[in-house]
Amino acid sequence: MPQLTIDDHPIEVPTGTKVIAAAEQLGIMIPRFCYHAALGSVGACRLCAVMFLDGPVKGLQMSCMVDAQDGMVVSTTDAKAVDFRRQVIEWLMLHHPHDCPVCDEGGHCLLQDHTVSSGHAIRRYRGAKRTHRDQYLGPLLQHEMNRCIQCYRCSRYYQDFAGARDLSVMQIGNKVYFGRDRDGTLQSPFAGNLADICPTGVFTDKPSRYMGRRWDYERSPAVCIHCSLGCNIVVSARYREVVRLEARFNPHINGYFMCDRGRHGYTYTSAAGRPRQAIFEGQPADVDATLQHAAERLTSIARMHGLAAVACIGSLRSSVEAQGALVRLCNAQGWPAPAFFDDDERLAAVQTAVAQQHAQVHVSLRAVENADAVIVAGCDPIAEAPMLALALRQAQRRGATIVVIDPRPIELPLAFQHIPLAADQLAACLDDLITRVGTVAHDPGALETGSPADPLAAAADLLVRSRRPVIVCGTDLPNVAAIRQAGKLARVLRENRDSGLFHVLPGANAYSAALLNRGRSMAQVAADIAQGAVKALLVVETDPFHHLPNRKRLTDALARLELLVTLDYLDGPHTRKAHVFLPSTTIFESGGTFINQEGRVQKTAGALQGGTALRLVSNTHPPRLYGQGIPGNQPMPAWLMLSALSGESAFGSSADILQWLAREVPGFENLKAAQPPTGEDLLLDSAGRSEIGRHCLDVTSESPLNPPNSGGGLHLLSTERTFGSEELSCRSPQLIELESTPQARLAPSEARRLALKDGDRIALAAENGFYETTLKVADNMAEGTLAVGRHCHPDWPWDGRHARIADRSIKKIDQRETKINP
Amino acid sequence: MEKPLTRNMLPGRGPFSLAEYEKAGGYQALRKALTTMSPSEVTETVQQSNLRGRGGAGFYTGRKWSFVPMGEDAPQPKYLVVNADEMEPGTFKDRFLLEGDPHQMIEGIIISAYAIQASVAYIFLRANYDVAYRGLQVALAEAQAKGYLGENILGSGFGLTLLLHESAGRYICGEETALLNALEGKRAIPRSKPPFPPVVGLWGKPTIANNVETLCNVPHIIFHGAEWFRSLSRSADGGTKIYGASGKVRRPGAWELPLGVTIREILEEHAGGMRDGVSFRAVLPGGASTDLLTADHLDVPMDFNAVQEAGSRLGTGTMVVVDDRTCIVGLVHNLIRFFAQESCGWCTPCREGLPWLTDILAAIEKGRGEPGDIEILRQHTHLLGPGNTFCALAPGAVEPLQSALKYFEEDFERHIREQRCPWK
Repeated sequence: MPQLTIDDHPIEVPTGTKVIAAAEQLGIMIPRFCYHAALGSVGACRLCAVMFLDGPVKGLQMSCMVDAQDGMVVSTTDAKAVDFRRQVIEWLMLHHPHDCPVCDEGGHCLLQDHTVSSGHAIRRYRGAKRTHRDQYLGPLLQHEMNRCIQCYRCSRYYQDFAGARDLSVMQIGNKVYFGRDRDGTLQSPFAGNLADICPTGVFTDKPSRYMGRRWDYERSPAVCIHCSLGCNIVVSARYREVVRLEARFNPHINGYFMCDRGRHGYTYTSAAGRPRQAIFEGQPADVDATLQHAAERLTSIARMHGLAAVACIGSLRSSVEAQGALVRLCNAQGWPAPAFFDDDERLAAVQTAVAQQHAQVHVSLRAVENADAVIVAGCDPIAEAPMLALALRQAQRRGATIVVIDPRPIELPLAFQHIPLAADQLAACLDDLITRVGTVAHDPGALETGSPADPLAAAADLLVRSRRPVIVCGTDLPNVAAIRQAGKLARVLRENRDSGLFHVLPGANAYSAALLNRGRSMAQVAADIAQGAVKALLVVETDPFHHLPNRKRLTDALARLELLVTLDYLDGPHTRKAHVFLPSTTIFESGGTFINQEGRVQKTAGALQGGTALRLVSNTHPPRLYGQGIPGNQPMPAWLMLSALSGESAFGSSADILQWLAREVPGFENLKAAQPPTGEDLLLDSAGRSEIGRHCLDVTSESPLNPPNSGGGLHLLSTERTFGSEELSCRSPQLIELESTPQARLAPSEARRLALKDGDRIALAAENGFYETTLKVADNMAEGTLAVGRHCHPDWPWDGRHARIADRSIKKIDQRETKINP
Repeated sequence: MEKPLTRNMLPGRGPFSLAEYEKAGGYQALRKALTTMSPSEVTETVQQSNLRGRGGAGFYTGRKWSFVPMGEDAPQPKYLVVNADEMEPGTFKDRFLLEGDPHQMIEGIIISAYAIQASVAYIFLRANYDVAYRGLQVALAEAQAKGYLGENILGSGFGLTLLLHESAGRYICGEETALLNALEGKRAIPRSKPPFPPVVGLWGKPTIANNVETLCNVPHIIFHGAEWFRSLSRSADGGTKIYGASGKVRRPGAWELPLGVTIREILEEHAGGMRDGVSFRAVLPGGASTDLLTADHLDVPMDFNAVQEAGSRLGTGTMVVVDDRTCIVGLVHNLIRFFAQESCGWCTPCREGLPWLTDILAAIEKGRGEPGDIEILRQHTHLLGPGNTFCALAPGAVEPLQSALKYFEEDFERHIREQRCPWK
C-alpha cells in the first residue's frame, strides 16, 4: 500500500491507484475531462496535470496516468501546474462556442466549471471557430458537435464500455468528429448515458431540452422501478413535472450508468391522461368520502356473499409500504390474501428464486462484473434487466466467458456463447451441468471424455476452471425445476469456488411480493370472478389487462363483478371500468421502499409535490395559475388509502408498516435492523429462515425435470422486450419511438418445415381467436420454439404467457387479400 | 570506403533479383545466423555493434531486442514489425533502400525475427510507396519460393511468416505504438507507455518495431561481425548511414557515408554546395521535426550525440538545407501546418496547439502579425514540449519553431513590424 503526500496531506492507497483517484479520496478534485472512474485513464485531455515535487516521479505529470507510489510528494496547486491547466482550458476554448446561455448543459457543465476555475477569460486566439454539422441521433439525445472538446469519453463509453458500434470517432487532428456514419437513432439501449458522461453539451437529454437549468429543478435521489435491479437515479422535476432522470452512482448495483428504459420511462407521472380524481358512481368525489364509500361497499359484499367474495390484487411496482398495507388490510378484514403475480407458474418461479437466494450465495450486480464465468439460464438480460447486460459486458472485458442457455435469439452487446435450448429442457440441461461439474470436480480427467464440440461439456469445463462463477437465472421462461437446478448449480460450485447466484425477477418489488404472496395468482382470481365466486375486486396499482394476456376473457369476467375498486396512477381499462376509483401517487411524489432482486432494501423520498403539471393547466410562460388549491392534487400514497380502508387497524406512518412487516412476515426481519431504513446496505436474507424457505418451497412442490412430451407443435413463448413490454415505460412517447415491431421468431429448420419465410405475415390460431404477427427467421434460437415479442397491449388469445401451438394453427396470411389461406 | 548498404545498387538498373542477390553474397548472413548462431548470440552481436535505430530516436537496437521475453514461457506469438512508414518531410532514405535492394531488408528481417524468436513479421509500408510495394512483392515471392520464408528455414527449425501491409497514409503511423494500433485495425493513436512494445505490443504480444535502415544493417553485422561494423563509423555509433540533402543544393540526393561525417562534408562534397545565387542559411539536420542548425554548426559531425550537443537531433539523417532566399517564417509555417494536419487528435496540446501556431504563423507571413504573437509562439514551444503531450509528435513539431525563434527571431519581428513578408 503506497503512502504519498498530496497538497501536504498524507494518504495511503491500494497499489495501482492513480494519483488522481488518490487525491479524490482526500477530497481534492483534480480537474479532468477524459478521466472517468468507469472508463479509466487515457491521458488525452492533459487537464489533470499536477507537479510531482519529490519521489520516484518528478516534474509536471498527468495525475491520471501515474500510479501512486511510496514517497511521492504531489502538489496540485503548484504555479506551473496551474498555469498548464489554464493553458489546456484556453486550447479547449479556442473552438468551444460561447453558447452557454442557450446550452442545456449550462449550470452543470464540467467545461464551464473548469473554465471559470482556471481563470481563463481573455481570448487570445484571433481565428474563426471551427464548426461541425450535427446529426439526428434519435428521440433521446441532442447532438451539438461544435461544443465538443474531444475528451473521447463518448466513444470510449459507447464502444468499449457499452459494446455498441454505431457511434465512433472520425477524422483526425482538430477535425475529430464523434458521431454516426450517417444520421439515425443510436442503436444502444444505453445511449442515454452519453448525456451524463459528456463533460459538456455535445450530447444533451432531448426530451428535457430547454426545460430548465439544474438549479431550477427539484432534485432528489430515487430508485428506478422499470425492472427488478433497482438502479439508483436522480430525479429532476420542475413545475410539478418530472423532467429528467440521471444515473446516480451506486457501488453495488448500477455503478455510474443506467439503461434508457429506466431513464425515459418516467413520463406516466406527469401524463395528461393520468387519473387524478377520485370517482364513485361515475361522479367525481372527495377522496375521504370515496374511501368511506368503498369500505362500506366492500364490507357489505363480504357480509352478503362471505369473506371469500372479496379479492385483492397487488402490484410488483408498488412500494413495500403499499404491498404491506394491502396484506394488512386483507388480514384485518378477513379477506383472502392478495394476489401479486400474474399466474401460478410465475408465482412459483419467483418464490422459488427468492427462497434459494440467501446471503451465502446471492451476489450483487457489481459482483457479476467481477465474475470470471457466467452461465445465463433462461434469461434475456437486455430485455428483462438491461443493466445486467452491461454488467455482463464488463465481466467479459475483464476476461470472463459468458454462456447463455436460452431458446430465444439472444442479442447482447458482448461476445458470448449461446446454447439455444427449448425452455422445457432447461432444468434437465442444468442438471446435466451439475452432474458434469460434480464428476469433474472429483476426477479432473473426466472432461477429456466429453466431445469438444459439445457446448455443455465446454460450459462444464468453464465452470470447473473458474474461480468466481455466477449463475444468472430468469423467472419469466424457466420453470420451478429449472430455477431450483440453477440454485443447486450455484451451491455445488460453492463447495470450492466463490460462486454466486443472480436471479432476475419480474418487477421492482417482486422480491417483497414473493415474500408477501400467501394466496393465489391474478389468473386464479380472474377465474374465480368468472365462476362467480368473487363479487368484489380491489385492484392496487396494477393493470390486470397488462398482466393477464387474454384481455377478452378478463373483460368478460370483470363484467360479472358487483364492485371493482381501483387504486392507481395509471390510466387504463382497469381504472375506466372501476366502480370506485382512488388516485394514488407515484414513486416520484411519495417515494417508498423498494427491494431489488437480490433483497437489497432501498428507500426513496419523493421528488416533487403532487398536482397536475403546470404545463397542462397554464398556457403562459413562465406558467402561472391563480386560484385556490392545486389542481390535480388529490392523489394520495396507496398505503395511506389502504390503511384508511382497514379502519381501526390503520397505520400511522409508512415506517409503521415496515416495522409491522419486520415483526409479522417471515423474510422481512432485517427491516427491523435499520431504524430508519437507510437503504444502500440493508439486505433481506432468507438464509436460515426455514419458515419462509419452507413456505416458498411448499408452494413449489416437486416438479419433474423433463415435462411430459406435449405432442409436437411449437412452444409459443411471449417474451419481454427492452422497450414496449414493461408496464410503466411502455407508455413513454420517446421510448415508443424506439420500440421494435413485435415479431414471431422461428428457427430456419422450423420455417422450412412449415413452408414459411422471413417477413411472412402469419396468423396463430387459438381456441377463441387469432394472433397476427410477422415472422422473423432467426438462426440463433432453439428448434420447436416460436418466440413472440410481448406487446404491452396484445390481443393475445391464449390464457397463459406461454402456450403450445400445433403446426396446423400457424397460417400464412396472403398480404394482397389479407385473408388467411386454408 | 565500404558501403555495405548500397553496394548492390547500381545506377540505371532495378533491384537485384534473388539469384543476383545471392550471387553477390546475399542470404549468407542468414545462413550463418540460423545454422551457427543461437538467437541470443545474434542479439549479443548486434548489441556489440553499437547499431542505433535509424528511424530517428537512435535507441540501441540490440538493447531493444534484449527486452523481449525469451524462452519457453515467453508469450507467443512474438512479432517483428518493420517501420517502413517513412513520412517525415524531407526524408527519403528508406525509400532508397526499399526500392534499391529489397532482399537486403528481407534478410535483415528474418535474422532479426530469429534473434527475438518472432514467428510473424509485418512490413508496414508507407502509402504511395508504390515502386517499393511492387518490388517487395516480387522479392517476397522469391524468398518464399526459395524457402527463406515459411516453415523450417534452412533446416533450422525456425519459421517466419512475413506479411506486407500498405498503410492508409498517416504520418502518426510512423510512431511505433500508433503503427501497432493501425495494424490491429484501430485508429492510429499512440499507446500509453509503459508497457513498451517489446513486452506488450501487437495484439498484446511482445513486439519489436525497427526502422528499414536499421534492419538492412543486420545482415552485414552478422556476416562481418560487430568489430567490423563499428570500424565503418567515424563515431562511437557503429556503421554507415544513409545521409541525404534536399533544398537549393546543386546535387540533392542520398549517400551512404560513415556515421559521423560533418554537415559541411555532406553539403559540400556530396551535395555539391549551394546553387548559384543562393547562400547557406540554416539546416534541418534530420528531417522536419529537428531543430535548425546554422552556419556555426557546419563542422558538427552527423552522429547521434554530436548533433544533440549542438542543440538538434540526428533524426533520420536527411538534411533539409535552407538558403538565404527562403523565408524562415514561411518555412516554419509550412512545417507546422503539416504537423497540425497530421496530429491524430488524441491529446489537447497537439490537436489544438499546433493549428493555433499554424494560424499565427500564417498571419505573420501574410503581414497580419501582432506584437504579442511571438510570445504566444515561444510559450507554445515550451507548452508542447516532452511530457506535456501524449506522444513525441508535437514536441518534434515545435523543434524547427523553437530554433527559428532562437536563431532568427529578427525575421519574425521584421514580418510583424513591416506587416509583410520581406522575402516576397
